[in-house]
Amino acid sequence: MAKWGMVIDLDKCTGCQACTTACGMENNTLPGENWQDVLYYSEGEYPSGQMKWLPRPCMQCEDPSCVHVCPTRATYKDEAAGGIVFVDWNKCIGCKYCMIACPYGVRFYADEKPLVEPDLKSIFPGENGQLWSPPYQGPDEDWRRGIGIQPKGVVSKCTFCYHRVSKAPEGVADLDEDDPELVEFVPACVRTCPPKARYFGDLDNPQSNVNRLIGNKRGVRLRDETGNRPQVYYLGAGAGVPAFQRRERS
Amino acid sequence: MNVLKALMTRRRFLQVSGAAGVAGAGAAKLVGFTAATSTPKTAGAQARGQTRVTKNICHQCPARCGINVYTTNGRVHAIYGDPGNPIANGKLCPKGHLGTYFLYDPDRFKGPMRRTNPRKGRNEDPGWEPISWEQAYDEIAGRINELRRNGEAHKFAHFYGRGWGPSDAGLYGAWGQLIGTPNSAIGHASMCAEGSKRAKAATDGNNSYNAYDYRNTNCMLIFGAGFLEAFRPYNKIMQDWGHMRTKSPKTRVTTIDVRMNPTMAASDRYLMTKPGTDGAIALAIAHVMLTEGLWEKDFVGDFRDGRNRFRTGQTVRAFEFEEKWTHGLVDWWNNELKDRSPSWAESVTGIPARQIIEVAREFGTTRPAMAIMERGPTAHTNGVYNGIAIHALNALSGCLFAKGGMFYQMGPSYGPGPANPADYMDDIANEMRGKYPRIDMARSERWPFTGTMMQETARNHNAGDPYKLKMAMFYSTNPIWTAPDAPEWEKMMSEIFVIDTSPFPGETAMFADIVLPESTYLERLQDSPTYPFEGWPMTALRVPAIDPIYNTTEFGNMMIEIGKRIEGPTGEYYQRIDSVENLLRHLARGFANDPGDNGVNDFESWKEKGVWYKKPYHWRQHRGVFYEWDGEGYNRVMSEEEVGEKLIKTASGKFEFKSSHLEGHADYINRELGIPTDRVGYPQWVEPRHTGGNRPLHFVTPKTPMTAEGRSGNIPHAVAIQQPIVGGNDRTYLEVHPQTARERGIRDGDRVRIRSDLGTIEAYARYVPQHRPDTIVLPYEHGHWAQGRWATGQGRSRTPGNPNEITANVSDPISGLACYYTGKVDLERA
Amino acid sequence: MTNSNVMKGGAGTVLLVLSLLVMVAGFGYAAFSLSAHGHAAFNASSNVPWGQPISTYLYFALASSGLGLLAAIPLVFRVKAYYPVAKRCVFLAFIVLISGMAVLAMELGHTFRMIWAIPFGMQIESAMFWMGVLYLLDLIFLLWKFQRLEGKDWDSKTAKQIGVASFLGVLLASGNLALIFGMMSMRPFWFDGSLPIYFYLTGITSGMAALVFYTYLAYGFKREAMPEPLQRLLTGNLPVLFAALLGVTLLFILVRMVTGLYSNMPEVHLVWSDYILTSPVYHLSLWGGLVLPFLLLLSRNLRVQPGVQVLCAMLVFAGLFAERYYFVVGGQVIPLFKGTWAWDIVHYTPSAAEWSLTLMGAAMIFVLYVLGEKYFNLSDTPADITAPEPSGATAKVTA
Repeated sequence: MAKWGMVIDLDKCTGCQACTTACGMENNTLPGENWQDVLYYSEGEYPSGQMKWLPRPCMQCEDPSCVHVCPTRATYKDEAAGGIVFVDWNKCIGCKYCMIACPYGVRFYADEKPLVEPDLKSIFPGENGQLWSPPYQGPDEDWRRGIGIQPKGVVSKCTFCYHRVSKAPEGVADLDEDDPELVEFVPACVRTCPPKARYFGDLDNPQSNVNRLIGNKRGVRLRDETGNRPQVYYLGAGAGVPAFQRRERS
Repeated sequence: MNVLKALMTRRRFLQVSGAAGVAGAGAAKLVGFTAATSTPKTAGAQARGQTRVTKNICHQCPARCGINVYTTNGRVHAIYGDPGNPIANGKLCPKGHLGTYFLYDPDRFKGPMRRTNPRKGRNEDPGWEPISWEQAYDEIAGRINELRRNGEAHKFAHFYGRGWGPSDAGLYGAWGQLIGTPNSAIGHASMCAEGSKRAKAATDGNNSYNAYDYRNTNCMLIFGAGFLEAFRPYNKIMQDWGHMRTKSPKTRVTTIDVRMNPTMAASDRYLMTKPGTDGAIALAIAHVMLTEGLWEKDFVGDFRDGRNRFRTGQTVRAFEFEEKWTHGLVDWWNNELKDRSPSWAESVTGIPARQIIEVAREFGTTRPAMAIMERGPTAHTNGVYNGIAIHALNALSGCLFAKGGMFYQMGPSYGPGPANPADYMDDIANEMRGKYPRIDMARSERWPFTGTMMQETARNHNAGDPYKLKMAMFYSTNPIWTAPDAPEWEKMMSEIFVIDTSPFPGETAMFADIVLPESTYLERLQDSPTYPFEGWPMTALRVPAIDPIYNTTEFGNMMIEIGKRIEGPTGEYYQRIDSVENLLRHLARGFANDPGDNGVNDFESWKEKGVWYKKPYHWRQHRGVFYEWDGEGYNRVMSEEEVGEKLIKTASGKFEFKSSHLEGHADYINRELGIPTDRVGYPQWVEPRHTGGNRPLHFVTPKTPMTAEGRSGNIPHAVAIQQPIVGGNDRTYLEVHPQTARERGIRDGDRVRIRSDLGTIEAYARYVPQHRPDTIVLPYEHGHWAQGRWATGQGRSRTPGNPNEITANVSDPISGLACYYTGKVDLERA
Repeated sequence: MTNSNVMKGGAGTVLLVLSLLVMVAGFGYAAFSLSAHGHAAFNASSNVPWGQPISTYLYFALASSGLGLLAAIPLVFRVKAYYPVAKRCVFLAFIVLISGMAVLAMELGHTFRMIWAIPFGMQIESAMFWMGVLYLLDLIFLLWKFQRLEGKDWDSKTAKQIGVASFLGVLLASGNLALIFGMMSMRPFWFDGSLPIYFYLTGITSGMAALVFYTYLAYGFKREAMPEPLQRLLTGNLPVLFAALLGVTLLFILVRMVTGLYSNMPEVHLVWSDYILTSPVYHLSLWGGLVLPFLLLLSRNLRVQPGVQVLCAMLVFAGLFAERYYFVVGGQVIPLFKGTWAWDIVHYTPSAAEWSLTLMGAAMIFVLYVLGEKYFNLSDTPADITAPEPSGATAKVTA
């Protein structure tokens, strides 16, 4: 079985957030429930200030701290599914311990105050046990893997678009959106990325393009000191996460 | 089980469609205790129903990306870039994925409506009453017929913003001709980006945006174009960016702009200049290119003896220089450029001369190298002069019509329409022809260079000069909010009969007498020849993914249906046009003789593929020789006459550093800008005249990548990622340098008041130490007071306010482009 | 003696009705808010997933553990002076834990699912799993121990074994509860192997406050109405222990504060410098809720005064409640990897629904407490120290 990994080339990324909106559309997430997000950071001052950004999917860690803390095994790393970390919405009790334990802030409890009001959850009230039911909901659903629209009271997260990836032919080294045979199996964020800053493939296959890119361009994992060993690698300048610092306030 | 599930799912969809917005949460169970009662969804992975993919074109910006629209069980749920579309190539920008939210926006208008409240105002409920399409068309046509009978046909005006092609905005020409109004239509270009077009017209004779060959360029100067935010085609630009920044050699990019933004941040180098001074930097770069002998000699020419005589401050004798494809270089040098040294530019812009020299050397020694621009430099009173100074760099680098350079766009091989309007002119139409000027006075002696001056309309109407309108129809434009000094429009629109055609509520609709809601783009049949892109012709098609979910139709059909009801031969003309679909079928006949590269040769195959295109671009300049495509290669050498006729369309047939176009109205320019008449032709430094006088701060209102044709204010998913630079995820914030804020006692997060000559708006401030201290930035999106529940929610309609309310209605006298970025303001704590 | 327990009389009934009303109102409001708005009724969010309901639960659970540990003084370590509070300790430990769990139940996304999902999941890597197991054991042992005490079995072999088991259960449960936080290396404000000790100390301190308060409450805040051995304890050993516990608690807080402020790491440093120490509420609770009672109890004269003891108990209630709140929220206020979206330190203040849960839990303790006082003899002691003493001897006892 493959070990799915993602490579994000920051030398190409333009910070446009197409990955974020594609993910939101594909997975029917709520505003602010950014399974895929782009984080902006800035430092320095005119005329030599800098601004940088970092696209952030779930890192699908090899040793995911979220999985260790989940008291019900609702969140689990599915080696048979390429090492993707899922939340089983039938088992999640909404204790949110995994949200505490994730160093990358990729988990969401959308059953919360809306970021943008009025609340879409009340405009499109949930039916069939869902948290909300928008008319543009996608057809895929698999609650055991956190795919579809979640019920109330559970945690949601990026699934590497498993409902797409899982349909890829067995043994494929890379899911390249430019291949017409594969485009429908590529995760939404990778598929749409205009500068082609994202790549998706099998980290267990030494022949895969993702492994070649990691090798050639000195791929790094974010916050490697956590020991979580992400399956998402970053290339290029700016792959560091600046420490939190308080801004000037007055 | 699965069957049951599918049925339930379908029912759910039906319920939602009927009851969107009805709160159903009242009966919800206690959340913490639902698990025991609700059946867990234990079934495995499943997908409901069959998915159909249809072709369409995105509507979130002018770029016209082809999209694949995914529909399952009658619901559109996904949009991806069409891999077969040469702009999209399977990709989309962040706005492209928002389409489903627009389609299912619960605030959409559900059908035609008539106003019952005669009073108009921001706080007046229009009192909409639903009417039938027949009633609506009859009433509108009746009013137009009456105007025509009274010799007042010119008092009907069409206004439009985004025109897509022959099946919508393309109908305006015949309409004006047949109805007898010069105001069909007033386009929004003068509030968009006319500046760069006029700069090209003035120098290379093409009144157009450029097509670009980014993939092959090795060096770029980006002047205030929002290249990685809002330049079109944004999606393709980013695709090319990924290529440019990883190819060998990597394309070197320098960005010149007035505020920290993603383009700057991603560039190799940035120069943060003072608003309105881009031209000074361009002139200094040109100056260095000449003094250091870095111009492209194959294109521009050279000194006869090959010895460079360009020295700062010293004139050159004209006969010593032999020009090839340019005109007036030595005159330009002697009359302007010789004094435009980098240290001079430093005194104007504050950018150190050393940095300007670095940029000039890199630009001058790298080929192909291009300088691009858009509204940043041109939305000022000196806009065209900034623009031609920048465009002059493209002549000096020789990238015009070159590989890795820039050129112009070819049109598609359309067949003729179903009827020729000239055959349907009645007496009224003939009598009205040329009788009255346009309401906006574009193309008149008041604005001799312009094509359209939408922002002048309300002012002219309110002054009764040249006359007052009686009736106006709006399509894809909302000047009552977007025009500079927007409130002026409220007065005009209170006085006239207004028809709005937007699918969505908005400020125009608040003042409308009749609303004819258009279908959203995913429900439309509509064609669209490409915006300037890579030069070769292309036209894409919107194919409805689903039947309109409400009682709506295409704008083109509205025009045709109203036209059918006009008395006399006009009605017959529109009977012949019949419908948008009929028109498109006629146009598509042109493909039969010229099938596209993807095999599209008729209407059906066009619908199936979504796009007709034909590569390559037909012309190329290589080392100072122009070639034409002969079917196999760029093999046919073009004569000077052919180049002048087809490519460089100036009086001289050369790129003009001494613009005959501008000299054609030298007295006008002298009057408006104070430039001596004998100097008006040169790219030169002209001080911008900032509105707001002595107020201390420049006020700029850029678009972020999430500005979706002015509609993302009501899309919660867009609001939530609108302004990542300062974390604006619930509204847009005013970006202000901390020093500027502190001087005024403003803390991060404070509510502030921005004051111009016209009034004040409020916003919340956030500190951005990377910005210029003299420039404050408020991205343009929120402040809509009638766009729907999210646009007005959480105070987004007031804080921030609409920047256009405090933007003075001042335009570049040459291009007519509204000077959105030239205002100066005060800032204080609210 | 039964007559002197005011909870058995009309006053108890009044308190019962009042606290029942508050409990029902708190529950009703929280339940209504949750059903109307889902967890949007809470101000906890994806950025601060654990808010006041969790800190309330933590507060109650640790107070219960503290009471359990206090009960071990007589029941495990056989310090006879503490026999007069042993049974009340066990009972209070039980009801405080129950109330804490009730608050937690209202906070979780799917409470009833927990009942099968945790045992079936058998995720032994999760401290949360062990929290379930150990607090369940704790609850069982408390119940069992109470049942033994109710049967007047104070020192049979079984009773002793249960006592030891319960003691270990409490240590493990609260120690594990500490590790739920202390093992989170990605939350440096909490990451601390010695956290269990901090939890034990603060837990016993809040248990002590509860014990003092509820003991006085049972006797209408009149010490003279109490049995003599209890009076002797309250004027002797117990207030000293109370003071000592407060002192060590303060020391621990100080050490954590100094370590935090010394660290360069923003996730620790800024929590102290820019969140906790800039909060007036924190200062009020620290100085008024911990330092002030500590100083009062240091005084040999003051610490034996009934009024002072009750006041200190109530101050410590508030002080440690705030301490828990700032501990739980403080671990989350520095945004984890959110870029500009979290523009500053994350703001969190509990919503009305979250407050109503805290209120519900507190009221539930009162309800169960009054019922306990009414239906059991919580002041019961082994026969050997309950022998009647000569009248008038009580007033002269000193430590």
